[in-house]
Amino acid sequence: MELDGKIIGIISNDYEEKDYSGKIVEEIITYKISEALKMVKLDEAIKNELFDNLSSRDKNKVILASHLHDKEIRLVNFSKGMIKKDLEYFSTLFKRIANYGRKIILVDKNMEMFINCVDHIYIIEDEKIVYETKNIFDNILVKYIDVPKIVEFINNSSKNGIRLDYYTELDELLKAIYRIKS
Amino acid sequence: MNINESKNYCILSNSINKVLLDKFAYYPTIGKMNYSDLLSKLEFFSSKRVVFNETFYYLKNSEKKEILDLLNKQNIKYIIITSNVEEVLLANYLIVFDKENIVVEGETKEVLKEEKLLKRLGFGLPFVVDLSLSLEFYDILDKIYYDTSSLVGELWN
Repeated sequence: MELDGKIIGIISNDYEEKDYSGKIVEEIITYKISEALKMVKLDEAIKNELFDNLSSRDKNKVILASHLHDKEIRLVNFSKGMIKKDLEYFSTLFKRIANYGRKIILVDKNMEMFINCVDHIYIIEDEKIVYETKNIFDNILVKYIDVPKIVEFINNSSKNGIRLDYYTELDELLKAIYRIKS
Repeated sequence: MNINESKNYCILSNSINKVLLDKFAYYPTIGKMNYSDLLSKLEFFSSKRVVFNETFYYLKNSEKKEILDLLNKQNIKYIIITSNVEEVLLANYLIVFDKENIVVEGETKEVLKEEKLLKRLGFGLPFVVDLSLSLEFYDILDKIYYDTSSLVGELWN
């Protein structure tokens, strides 16, 4: 399936999460392990840990670290176990990686992972593209997934007759509300 | 860990691993499960409390609400284990873990007043609370809102 974009967001149940049960981390990350761990913000000590014993957050970091040098990096439910700070960090990292000519495909259940990050979103069902958009504010997306909270707020405001621009940062939204209310 | 049998809990953690899950091993735990299977399982659930181990990651908000409504009808209490700060609003008692250690706990609305701590730990605040707090600071709102519809209604009506 040919997908456009440098960092692609996919909403789909067709993809399986990677599972490295029974393996230790240094068996999973086979190339430049120290640098890879550093890049995904993991401590060196994790090298000898069994994948099964890791938190879902660290499992996803290990999976990313093992694919950092791939031409196409596909991550399924990468945001599982991640906290807000992680989403911001990895969003920046993905953009850096994409700038080196690599493609990143994020198949995810959490649209907060997509905001300020992906440049193309696909809905895939039974291995077929059923919808695609470049706009995270696209109202059609609501049929398939919960949109990011800031998008939900702006869309709800619009239903109340208040047209807000497509802000993706709280500070910008705040300033806009302040202008309208004052 | 003391669990009050009359409360619903959310466990917010940056490291959901075996060590954390073992603290709740006394209760039946559900992990990854799709919505329809989950619904079927909970319709005839024999325990009076259930633990959701990142189960809600896979559900839409409307599905989470259906599940919790079903549990409430059956008087089954729940513990939601999550890393997603947006989900803390689904329970009235919140315990925040940094790795294996409890850093703060209490009624959810009280814990959410610990804005600096939650942001320093990287969890942040639920969007609607974060926005409310800022709007309260600028005297646009006079209280904190916990759901988007109420906030939008108050702001624009």
